Amino acid sequence: MAPKSSSGKEKLIGDEDEVLQAVILADSFNKRFRPLTTRKPRCLLPICNAPLLDWTFESLALAGVQEIFVICRSHPQQIKAKIAESRWSKPGSGIKIVPILTAKETFSPGDAMRDIYTRGLVTGDFVLVMGDLVSNIRIDEVVKVHKERRKTNKDAIMTMVVKESGAKHRTRSKADSAVFVVDSETSECLHYQPIMGYPPTTIASVPREILETHPDIEIHNDFIDCSIDICSVEVPSLFQDNFDYLDIRRDFVHGVLTSDLLMKNIYCYVAKDGYAARVQDTKSYESVSKDILSRWTFPLVPDNNHPAGHLYEQRRGNKYIDKDGTVVLARTSAVGNKCLIGSSTEVSDNAQIISSVIGRDCFIGTGTIVDNSYIFSGASIGSGCVIRHSIIGSDVDIKDNTVIEKGSLIGDGVILGPNAHLKAYSRLSKKRAGELPEDDEDEADYADSEEEEVEAAQDSIAVTLGSESNAIVWPSSRPDEDDDDEDDVENVKNQRFMRLGDSASDLAFSDPGSESSEEDEESSDEDSEFETRLGILPNSSATSISLDAPVRSSDAMAESEFQNEVKLSLERAFIEGHSVDNAAVELKTLRMASNVPLSRVREGVVSAIVDRIKIIEGGGIPQRQEIASVISRWGPLINKIGGVDAVETISALQSHCASSERLLLFGQILAALYQDDIVEEHDIREWHRTATSQGQGMPAGIRSENMKKCWEVGSRMIEQFDEQDEEEEDSEDGSEDSEDGSEDSEDGSEDEDDQEDSEDDQDS
Amino acid sequence: MASDPQSAANQRIVEDLVSRLRRRQVVGSRATALETLLVLRQVVSKARFSNIDQLINIIRTVGRRLVEAQPKEHSVGNTVRKVLHHIREEYHTASERPAVETSFSIAKFVLQGQPRKQQTTVPKSETRIPLKENDPDDPDSFARVLKPVLMEAIQDVFDELETVYDNISKNAKDHIHSDEIILTLGMSRTVESFLKAAAHNRNYTVIIAETAPSYGGREMGKSLSSAGISTFLVPDSSIYALMSRVNKVILGAHAILANGGMFATSGSLLAATAAREYSTPVVVCAGQFKLTPLWNLYHEYGALDFGDPSAVLGFDEGDLVEKVDVVNPYYDYVRPDLLDVFITNYGDHPPSSIYRLLKETYDDEDNEL
Repeated sequence: MAPKSSSGKEKLIGDEDEVLQAVILADSFNKRFRPLTTRKPRCLLPICNAPLLDWTFESLALAGVQEIFVICRSHPQQIKAKIAESRWSKPGSGIKIVPILTAKETFSPGDAMRDIYTRGLVTGDFVLVMGDLVSNIRIDEVVKVHKERRKTNKDAIMTMVVKESGAKHRTRSKADSAVFVVDSETSECLHYQPIMGYPPTTIASVPREILETHPDIEIHNDFIDCSIDICSVEVPSLFQDNFDYLDIRRDFVHGVLTSDLLMKNIYCYVAKDGYAARVQDTKSYESVSKDILSRWTFPLVPDNNHPAGHLYEQRRGNKYIDKDGTVVLARTSAVGNKCLIGSSTEVSDNAQIISSVIGRDCFIGTGTIVDNSYIFSGASIGSGCVIRHSIIGSDVDIKDNTVIEKGSLIGDGVILGPNAHLKAYSRLSKKRAGELPEDDEDEADYADSEEEEVEAAQDSIAVTLGSESNAIVWPSSRPDEDDDDEDDVENVKNQRFMRLGDSASDLAFSDPGSESSEEDEESSDEDSEFETRLGILPNSSATSISLDAPVRSSDAMAESEFQNEVKLSLERAFIEGHSVDNAAVELKTLRMASNVPLSRVREGVVSAIVDRIKIIEGGGIPQRQEIASVISRWGPLINKIGGVDAVETISALQSHCASSERLLLFGQILAALYQDDIVEEHDIREWHRTATSQGQGMPAGIRSENMKKCWEVGSRMIEQFDEQDEEEEDSEDGSEDSEDGSEDSEDGSEDEDDQEDSEDDQDS
Repeated sequence: MASDPQSAANQRIVEDLVSRLRRRQVVGSRATALETLLVLRQVVSKARFSNIDQLINIIRTVGRRLVEAQPKEHSVGNTVRKVLHHIREEYHTASERPAVETSFSIAKFVLQGQPRKQQTTVPKSETRIPLKENDPDDPDSFARVLKPVLMEAIQDVFDELETVYDNISKNAKDHIHSDEIILTLGMSRTVESFLKAAAHNRNYTVIIAETAPSYGGREMGKSLSSAGISTFLVPDSSIYALMSRVNKVILGAHAILANGGMFATSGSLLAATAAREYSTPVVVCAGQFKLTPLWNLYHEYGALDFGDPSAVLGFDEGDLVEKVDVVNPYYDYVRPDLLDVFITNYGDHPPSSIYRLLKETYDDEDNEL
């Protein structure tokens, strides 16, 4: 039936010959909703009484998508069953939905993308969304724009849909956002810098190359990243090639944009109208719920096109009450604005419901206050309870006089109370029954390993859960585990920005806690790093100064590590006698793995080659031969690492020679490079003109002295060039030069002689 | 419905329209009416039935499905009711039972005996094979005989929809006189063609309120001024100030209710109230398919259909989004006492006789689908 229906849809659409495909990554790859998600995948959590996945399907259907692949990892059977019983699998839905079960080992969106590649699911441009998307954006318009762009530019591999919002917007995640640098004219995304709530980022760096090549750029820190990407077929294969890409934004987008090997472009589509947001954490769960109730998602609103097919009646003040007339609202109960109440729910006398969503078949006892909370279906809340800013799972039984403070998450089936008092941000789940659920056992294994831990830790936690409770309390925040480093988006403090009801205002400024001092140290490290980097860089690269200041101290670590790696890999190449091409490939991979600018690689290579040259006592001809042999064997490598910048090569050579004992070889090596056409005459001249080559802007010391010496050697070479240009050859001038050279040192003059000889050789 | 391929095909086209209605991909009364009619025609042509009740049941099921998909778009239900009415009529003439309809019709009365389509259809059924219901030997015979007639009946509704604008604007020159100043608002195709038709004979001025937040008035202004009508576009806030100079207010309608009130573009209530203050006549132009057997006695809040707030408050106003609740209704409910006359393709009627027109247009049993 399904293929037939899709063909019918095609006929109706007529001019659309290509099927628009979409891929939903129906797994969150994180645990922000625990314990609600221990027995249920996140995409099946209800938001406004319809599973998130249904909202996503509806969002895609609205955009005219005809084929959807749902990549599910945790609890795949549940998702599969849900899809099978939903209205999407009925004839006439016009959409073909294929659930794809991916391996348990898929730990990141990147892994899922690689899975998509290996399965060969997509055949053309496709829409990539997360399984927690709520949107009414006309994605087909974006696809059209994307396809149009692809016609002229084959390298435009991806279009990201972003939505403008204020810097402070409830729907914009503080914990996981980004600065976008966009070309104003083409809306090409030029730079992407992820930003976390904690540690706070104050500096955004824009690489200078961007400023050079693009006259008009916009720097945006106010985009809601809708996680709707229009991807070309190449995208999954890029993930396959770069096995270390984990996150689509932080790794893939950043990687593609910073890579000058891939030469691919990513574009942004700023959605002017329409709404799109992800339910990526409990905080956005609340804001998206509110957006839905305030009708920002129109026509996807409870009273119009409710994804689960419920019919709601809209009342004044954006109250939505189920239409079937089974809702019982006591006369003295008060239902405030922006509420949603599902069918067969009973609200007793004097109960107050404020800006909350209440599922089907719920019971709210007398005098209970439900404030900004989300109660899933089947829950029963006794009388005299207070529930604030919390999410209550389905079939939860909360007995009388229980108080649940803000930010609490109560897992499915928990019984609580009576007279329990939950502190803010408590997380509760049901004690496991004796036997594991049999339907998907390995799934249970996975989920339960954490539950076991939690259960084991129960003794240490003393909270009054009430006499009839079957609940276990999850630790308020995980004790610092070793994988919990600050760079991770999932770090404990950053997670606070994602927590329901948590304003995290204390984190926004400074945290007086013990960790903050640590953080201060780190930030001061960063500062010095920043400075030193700025100090060194001009020496090493004269023309393309990278302003790419490190925001994270780990960059420095990575870099020294990288330099080391380069050295090792080149040593290996030298010893094992690799071909230049092979060595170049190795270096390229290294660079991509550690993500460093090209100039660093060049420095590394040059210094490694220079170090390769043995210093032969007494210099003279044997030394020259040694240099010539090394340079002719390995010199070409310098230009094969992914870009040619001879001036930078000379600078690198200079700075390396200036700080090593091979200072005296500088002239000879330069000459050898010139001989092998690795540097040209005009490169040397250009290098010579730059301020940094003269050692300016450097603290006085041996190093700057040495730099100057090198520069002088260069000046002599240039004089030679001038002479060659003017007159064919003149040995007298040459000797003059050598005399100048003798001021430096004995060896230096010899070098010059050698050099001159070689010049002469070349001429004849 | 049986699960034969035909009914599956039917279900598919119904579901397709349902989802398009739900997603608001089909908007506008006439567009939805046309789409509904296309679906009904398809359904009737493919349906298998051996008596009239089965057929009516099939249509009602489809109709209910469509109405549920978009209860705010009343022309869907109206079209279904209209088709049902026609089918019953055809069935009665075909089976030679005495017509249920009384000889007096308010529509005919208003139109002063102009030949109506129902009258022309009567001679058609003269050369007719006797109709057999529930024939056990040949269960399809009933459908076979009746189907061509039904298709014709549906075609009639179709033609009516196609010509609705022309029929309404036929008498435009009787309503608009030279040198009058007319006030209108929003973008209504019916009003547009009405005013354009009047412009052939009369020289008059139109003031158009721009009708925030949809700003349909701007579109209307462009269209009218390009037709050579002297047009002024004014902000909504100046409606009252200008009312003293206005000779007539001409409005479009989203749905005409049985009590003579109507749902119309938001802003209509403002204009109608201002007009009442100055005793300016308010004229409503609307096709017959907007007649809705609905009373709105309790001024139901949700009936007004609320859009998204983005037209009023930008989503990028992060701070405000959190604190401000924006209400953006598509329609106003205008009470019957604020309106003076409805100009329809069935003639001109005062609000007080709409109920009668409704009774003639639809069958009572279809009021609840």
